[in-house]
Amino acid sequence: MSQSGFVMALLDPDLPVPDGLIDGAGRPAGRRFSVYRNNVVGSLTEVLEKGFPVLQKLLGAEYFAALAKVFLRSHPPETRVMMLYGAQMPAFLAGFEPLAHLPYLPDVARLEQALRESYHSADSIAVAATDLAALSPEDFISARLQLAPTLRMIRSQWPISSIWAANTKETAPKPVMRAEDTLILRAEFDPEPHELGQGAADFIAALLRDETVGTAMDSAGSDFDLGATLSLLIAGNAVTTITRPEYAQA
Amino acid sequence: MLMNNKTLAVAGALAAVMAVHAVPASAQDAKEKCYGVALAGQNDCKAGEGTTCSGSSKVDYQGNAYKEVPTGTCLKMELPEGRMGSLEPLDRDPAG
Repeated sequence: MSQSGFVMALLDPDLPVPDGLIDGAGRPAGRRFSVYRNNVVGSLTEVLEKGFPVLQKLLGAEYFAALAKVFLRSHPPETRVMMLYGAQMPAFLAGFEPLAHLPYLPDVARLEQALRESYHSADSIAVAATDLAALSPEDFISARLQLAPTLRMIRSQWPISSIWAANTKETAPKPVMRAEDTLILRAEFDPEPHELGQGAADFIAALLRDETVGTAMDSAGSDFDLGATLSLLIAGNAVTTITRPEYAQA
Repeated sequence: MLMNNKTLAVAGALAAVMAVHAVPASAQDAKEKCYGVALAGQNDCKAGEGTTCSGSSKVDYQGNAYKEVPTGTCLKMELPEGRMGSLEPLDRDPAG
């Protein structure tokens, strides 16, 4: 029996128990292998259930458990660290024919995976609103903002922010069919998704490319609400550094 | 420098941010790391993810239930254009 054969049999219940497995008394240990095989599948399924609770709610617990088994057999863990296991779930769902009629599911999975990434990203020290006050508008336009490593942004043609809220908050309204941009901020220890207004995603995308505030504003269009977006970023402790322009000789 | 439209917009935005978030530093500093309050399943600690009691069931089963209809909230979403909450795509969009 080889190690790779053992692993393959672990993930595929159609394969026979590997040869050569014996218990303490020298007897074949097929049932013990089955228990172990079930533990592997059970624990990975649990990780996926914890990681994608909205997906589970959308599909139902029973269906999700079955889906998880299909996923984990084709995408076994690549590392011993389980906290981000399931990163390939969005791509898997996008190619999963039986759910092709629910085309927003991959983006819901992206949102949930991004929440996990945000949760496990490094801490940073954010600037406060009072730090902004030290800048003139002209300086601010020329400044670059470094954003927190916990920040994630998901742009979707589906209302995934609303879908997430409708399945996690009792008072949330029903989703309306539209494209939505979602910003995930971790103000303290728990990440939270926020639906972005018009142009805000373009603005933030430009900041992430290390463009100046002014250039980012230009890319955001005329309906963009700078005050609301800055307030969101500041409240979410998402701006870590303001790099002021270095003046050439006046 | 003359105040152009962009400068005015930024000045207004900065004022708006200040109005909402000018919190005394002492209030912001009064936070501490707290253990034992992590999101469910996110602490990755002993007896957390990767451990399971499902070994009490001895044999795994094939995950083929995905051919059945999901029973979650997909169907409960009432949305214009129908397709989002629908599980009956063939009625409207015949294959081929």
